[in-house]
Amino acid sequence: MRLELGNIDIKEIRFADKSEIKDGVLYVNQEEVIAQVLEDDLIRDAHLEIAVPGESVRITPVKDVIQPRVKVEGPGGMFPGVISKVDTVGTGKTNVLRGMAVVTCGRIVGFQEGIIDMTGPGAEYTPFSELNNLVLVVEPEDGWKPHDYERAARVAGLKVATYIGELARDLTPDETVVYERANLRESFENYPDLPRVGYVLMLQTQGLLHDTYVYGVDAKQTLTTMISPTEIMDGAIVSGNCVSACDKNTTYHHQNNPVIEDLFKAHGKTLNFVGVIITNENVYLADKMRSSDWSAKLAEYLSLDGVIISQEGFGNPDTDLIMNCKKIEEKGIKTVIITDEYAGQDGKSQSLADADPLADAVITGGNANEVVILPPMERIIGTTDFVDKIAGGHDGSLREDGSIEAELQIITGSTNEMGFNKLSAR
Amino acid sequence: MKKFRVVHYINQFFAQIGGEDMAHVPPEKREGVVGPGIAIQAALGDEAEIVATVICGDSYFGENMGKAEAEVLELIKSENPDIFIAGPAFNAGRYGVAAGTITSAVKRELGIPAVTGMYVENPGAEMYKDDVYIISTTNSAAGVRAAAPLMAKLALKLAKDEPIGASKEEGYLPNNVRKNFFEEKRGSARAVEMLEAKLAGKPYTTEYPMPDFDRVEPNPPVADLSQITIALVTSGGIVPKGNPDHIESSSASKFGEYSLDGFDDLTAETHETAHGGYDPVYANADADRVLPVDVLREYEKAGKIGKLHDKFYTTVGNGTAVASAKGFAEEIAKRLLAEKVGAVILTST
Amino acid sequence: MEFWLVTNNEKVNDAYADKCDVLFVDGTDRDVMKTIRDLVHEGHSLLTHPLSGSLKPGETPFRSVLVDKSKNETVDPFSLDLIETCIQALQKFRVRYEGLSERKLEDFRHVDLSIIESAIPTAMADRTRVVGVDRNGA
Repeated sequence: MRLELGNIDIKEIRFADKSEIKDGVLYVNQEEVIAQVLEDDLIRDAHLEIAVPGESVRITPVKDVIQPRVKVEGPGGMFPGVISKVDTVGTGKTNVLRGMAVVTCGRIVGFQEGIIDMTGPGAEYTPFSELNNLVLVVEPEDGWKPHDYERAARVAGLKVATYIGELARDLTPDETVVYERANLRESFENYPDLPRVGYVLMLQTQGLLHDTYVYGVDAKQTLTTMISPTEIMDGAIVSGNCVSACDKNTTYHHQNNPVIEDLFKAHGKTLNFVGVIITNENVYLADKMRSSDWSAKLAEYLSLDGVIISQEGFGNPDTDLIMNCKKIEEKGIKTVIITDEYAGQDGKSQSLADADPLADAVITGGNANEVVILPPMERIIGTTDFVDKIAGGHDGSLREDGSIEAELQIITGSTNEMGFNKLSAR
Repeated sequence: MKKFRVVHYINQFFAQIGGEDMAHVPPEKREGVVGPGIAIQAALGDEAEIVATVICGDSYFGENMGKAEAEVLELIKSENPDIFIAGPAFNAGRYGVAAGTITSAVKRELGIPAVTGMYVENPGAEMYKDDVYIISTTNSAAGVRAAAPLMAKLALKLAKDEPIGASKEEGYLPNNVRKNFFEEKRGSARAVEMLEAKLAGKPYTTEYPMPDFDRVEPNPPVADLSQITIALVTSGGIVPKGNPDHIESSSASKFGEYSLDGFDDLTAETHETAHGGYDPVYANADADRVLPVDVLREYEKAGKIGKLHDKFYTTVGNGTAVASAKGFAEEIAKRLLAEKVGAVILTST
Repeated sequence: MEFWLVTNNEKVNDAYADKCDVLFVDGTDRDVMKTIRDLVHEGHSLLTHPLSGSLKPGETPFRSVLVDKSKNETVDPFSLDLIETCIQALQKFRVRYEGLSERKLEDFRHVDLSIIESAIPTAMADRTRVVGVDRNGA
C-alpha cells in the first residue's frame, strides 16, 4: 500500500467571488459554501468566518476540526461511507491543505464544549490556534432531536471540508510525503531484526455526542479490527464526538494521527511499524471485555513485540485503556499508553479512574483540571453563552470583562490522548 | 534591593565537627556560611545572603526529636530569615530525616520558604517529599555542585512568590501534586521513544507512575480459632517498661521480641510505647489499647482461641523505611512459623 | 439477562419502565452511585460502567447504570473495585449542575438516555449469566 500526501501550504484565507486556491491563498465564495450547507433542512442558518493565528478571536463552542483534503489518484474519495462511496481508500495520491482547517461551531445541545483562542495563554494549549481557520457557524432548525442536529452539523463540516479540498485537486503540492507499507510477510522479511510494533487506536463510542464513525459505520457496533494507517489519512475515521473538548479526537486529529506519523518516521530504522488496530470504548462492560480481548488477540496474531495504545475521553475509557494494556502485556507484548489526567484543580487526586501495575509506561497529555485564565478576546465566533456550563467552566467562570476562568478541559485538543501536543505533567 | 536573609541547616559531619563519634553534639549557630553553604551562597548570588548556619548532631536530633526540633527552630527564628535551606543530605538517613523535619517545621511554624535536598531513597525523602520541596540529589556529597543551584533557584522563586514549575523542570522530588508543563517533544514522539527503550530493555521513566500497588492477597479465613495459636505483632511501639532494646521513636532500625508469659493485662507499671509519632498518654496508661493482651487472655480462657502466643513482636512504624519494615516482617514471620503460630493480629496506630 | 436499570433520569424511566425493571432513584447522581454500590455489596455485578460517557461528574446530574439481577454468593471484586473508583472519581469533581435551565436539563436527560440506550439491547440479548467476574478475567 502506497499513499502520497501532497501538502499544499495555505497561508491565508479570503472571501471572494470565486472559490479557488492561488499562490497559497484560499479564496472562498461564501454563498456557494453556505448554499451547500443549507441543503440540509435541519440547518436553519449558517455562515463562515475566518480566524487567523495571533488574532484576538475566540471560537466557541467548537464541534469538530477538519482538514480539507482531496483524493487525486487511487480508489475512493474523501470521508468514505459518509461523503464519498465506501470504496477502500488509502492508496494513490491525496492533496492536503496544510496550515488550515475547517472548524464547525454551533449549538447541538444546551451545554457545550470547546474553545479555540487564536492568541493569548489559551492559544498555547490548542494546536488549532496555529492554523488559518475557516469557521462554519451553524444554527439548527428548532424542533429536532439532538441526534439529528449532531449528524447535520457533523456532515455540514465534512461537506465544507470536501468542497474546499476539491479546490486543490489540480494543484502542484509544495511538498510530497510518501507513506508505504508492505504486506505482513514482506514487512517481516524486510526487517527481520527490528522489533514489530503496532498501534492500538481507541475510539470513543458511547452514544449521542460520544460517537466515532469508521467508513460511515458507528464504531460501537463493530468488533476490534484492523485498518491501514493510510486509510485513516484519507478520512476513513470521522469524529462525531462533541464532549470532552480537551481529549476528544477531532477528525483533524484522525487525519493527522501523530502516533501513526511518528511510527512511520521510525519505521525501517528503529522499528517495524506493522499496523493499526482500532477498538471501541463502549458502555457495556461485556463489550469492553470482548473488545480488549480482541485487541490482545490481534496484537498476538500479528506477532507484535510492542504496541502504543492511545485513548479518547475520560472516565470509563480509562477502564478500556487499562484492559487493553493489561491483556496485551499479558501476551508478552510491551505497551506504552497515552492518556491524560484528571488530578483535580490542586493536582492531588488520583489521575485516572482505573490503574494497573502492568501500565508501567505512561505518556500523559497533562492534568485537564488545571485552572487557566483566558483573557477577553476582541471578537467571538459562535457564542460564549455556554461557557458557564461547559466542562471545566463553572458558575461565574465567564467574568464580566469577558475573561474566562476555567479548567484546561474547556480548550479543544488541549490534553489530547494521541500525543498530539507537547503538554505533559509530573 | 534588600537581600533575602537565609539560614542554612547542616549536620555535624558537614560542619566538619566529626563523624558518627560526634553525632551527639547539640544544636549550635554560627555566623555566615559553613561547608556546603559556600556552594549554596554562590548559587544564590547577590539576591540572598546566608546570614547564619545552624548545626546539629544527627544522633542528638534523632534521639531528642521534639526537643531538638524546638531548639533548632529557635536558633533559626532568632535570625529573622526570609528563606530556610537545609542540607543537602544526600543518602544520609538520619540527616535526611532531620533536614526534612526541620524544613517542614520552618514552613509550618515560621511560614517562610523552606527547601531541602536529598537522594530519592533517603528515608527523609519518603517522609517529607509531599510536605516540602526536596531537590533530588545524587547519593553522595559529590552531588552538591549540581544540587546547590537547583536549591537556590527554587528557594528564590518561592521567596519572590513566582510560579513553581513541574518537578521535572525544577528538579524537586515528585510530590504527588500533578503539575502541567510543556515537554520538548510531542506526546506521540515520547511514546515511540519510550516503547523503543522498553523493547530494548533500557531504562525509561513513566510520566505517570501508577498508584502504589503493594497489595497483599488475604489468606483464607482461619477455620477454627479454638485450635490455633495467635500472636500479637505491632508497629505501635509497645515495649516493656524502660524500652530495654532502645527501639527508636522514629525510623526504627530494629524490632523487639518480648515474653508475654505471666501477663494477663498490660499496665503502666509493666509496659509503655516507644513510638514518637502519636500522643503516648493513653498507650502508656494502658498498653492493651495498642497490644490487646487482656482481651486475648479472656478469649484464651473462654476457649474461643486455642492459645495466645507467649511472645509478642514490636517495632515503631513512625517514619520507618519500607525496606526496613519488610526486613523485620520477614524475620518475625520466620520465627512465628517456627513456633507453629497459626494466625497473627497485627496492630498499628 | 435479568437486570435492573438504575437511574435518576425521568426520561430513561419513561422510556423503559414497561420494557425492563427500572430502579428509579429520586435523587442525585451520587445517590445513584450509592444505590449501585449497595447492590454490589449484596453480590450483584455491574453490567455497564458507572462513569458512562465523557460528560464529567458534576457536569450532568443524570446517571443510568445496568446491574445484573442474579446474585453471586460473594461480592464480585471487579464490580466492587469499579464502583469504588467511580465514586472516588465522582467526588473529585465539583457539582456544577445546580440551577440549570430546563432546556439544558432536558438535553442532559437526552444524552444520558442515549448512552444507556446503546447498552440495553446488548443486555437484553445477553444470555450469559455472570457468576462473578474476577479481575483477571476482566
